[in-house]
Amino acid sequence: MKRKLFIATSLSAALAGCGAVGTKLTGNQGFQSVLHTAEDLNLKLIGTHGLAHEYSLGEISGDFPINSFDTPSDALYKHLARAAFRPFRLIVDGMVDRPQRLSLAQLAAMPQAAQITRHDCVEGWSAIAQWSGVTLSDMLALTGPRAGAHYVVFHTFDRDANGLPYYESLSLAQAMHPQALLALRQNGAPIPADRGAPVRLKVPTQLGYKSAKWVRHIEVVASLDHLFAGKGGYWEDQGYEWYAGI
Amino acid sequence: MQTGKVVYRHSAVTRLTHWLFFIAFLALVSSGLQIFNAAPYLDASDKTDPARRVLQISSPRENVGATTVFGRTFTTTGWLGWTDDGMGGKTDRAFPGWITIPSYQDLADGRRWHLFFAWVMVFCGVAYLIWGIGRHDLRELLLRPSDVKKLLPMQLYYLRLRKEPPAHGKYNPLQKLAYTMVLFVFAPLIVLSGLALSPSFDAAVPWVTVLFGGRQFARLWHFVLMIALCGFFAMHVMLVITTGFRNHITSMITGRYKLGAHDGVGI
Repeated sequence: MKRKLFIATSLSAALAGCGAVGTKLTGNQGFQSVLHTAEDLNLKLIGTHGLAHEYSLGEISGDFPINSFDTPSDALYKHLARAAFRPFRLIVDGMVDRPQRLSLAQLAAMPQAAQITRHDCVEGWSAIAQWSGVTLSDMLALTGPRAGAHYVVFHTFDRDANGLPYYESLSLAQAMHPQALLALRQNGAPIPADRGAPVRLKVPTQLGYKSAKWVRHIEVVASLDHLFAGKGGYWEDQGYEWYAGI
Repeated sequence: MQTGKVVYRHSAVTRLTHWLFFIAFLALVSSGLQIFNAAPYLDASDKTDPARRVLQISSPRENVGATTVFGRTFTTTGWLGWTDDGMGGKTDRAFPGWITIPSYQDLADGRRWHLFFAWVMVFCGVAYLIWGIGRHDLRELLLRPSDVKKLLPMQLYYLRLRKEPPAHGKYNPLQKLAYTMVLFVFAPLIVLSGLALSPSFDAAVPWVTVLFGGRQFARLWHFVLMIALCGFFAMHVMLVITTGFRNHITSMITGRYKLGAHDGVGI
């Protein structure tokens, strides 16, 4: 019986040691690149198909969590917010035939789409809200991406504590998804400042970090390599997956 | 029975997928607890809803950890809620650093581990099952209709209410029940409930998330199924230790197993 107890104790100790081994391996570049292969697999096998479920008005969450800084500390943003975003212009440029500088009035005059969808955070929580605004596919049709363009990049007014800008990106195909939205309104009212006013991205088929708040500049590009750490987004540059579908 | 006779018990595919599955299982549990720590509560609902909260691990104040299950709160300082931060200190963290990968709070790397080893687990399971069709490894492991009536006598034997186990093959009826449940119920359900958490998978195959009662409910199922598989794992390891540890380990490495008193009649 002592022998069995010894075996059991050794096994328990070995299991507890797994965490230490796992932590060590996490810092290993080669091992990391092996782990990263799962992202390509998920992108290929799950991809972006079908439509996110749309809910009824009664299912909207009473308290939609905020998971970022309350409002950007950016001086220009503060100035625009004080002026009720009247001087705000959304810039759409890059590899497009017809670059745009659009005021909120111009955005509101474009065809408006609405959706009541669930926002799935990478942390694990979910909240339901109604979003309305201009679909990205309409915006891309207006601007006309050129041949060779592959990605749509969203630059925002937000920066982290170190001054690093928050940005996000989608492939052109993901941006053409009918539910990919440049939202102007949340639950029927203009988006509040802490929820991404005046324009935010809403991509209900991917995790919440894709849905960048406070979008100021949309850039159509051929490659993501030249932007910041080159992974296609602020959180992606910190190690999160560019394909945030799972 | 021919006690002492050495037989070739586990084929190479069984042995390889067994150990890969074992590594994947440890990695998935540890990285899964890391991911859980980012939102340490589980709701029986689609969207997050504190009114339908089943489990919450929290730290109500400095140096105190608390776990609330179905509205009843227990103090779990040191184990859950207020635990080691994986960097030598203590902090408000649901599962402690010694059980998570990485040990410190790091959702991005936890997800990388989890999503990679999920594929390893699926690959092992599918490879083992496809390869096992019509082969003795799998056939002798699965519960058959004729085993059902032997389940109770076998349980009575384990409870020492019966002198002899019912006649059975390489695995006894309760073992077969456990393996069959793991292979065909728990493993597929834990994969599906994990996929149900994916917004893209939900858009592509909406009935899966609905089947589990919504996204947050699927997260709860995923956790409960993990506990069930850990229970199986603990039982499995305990039986391996108590019925000839060396013999079992040797057979799962080399394939060769020495028949003993624990093996059923009729091998």
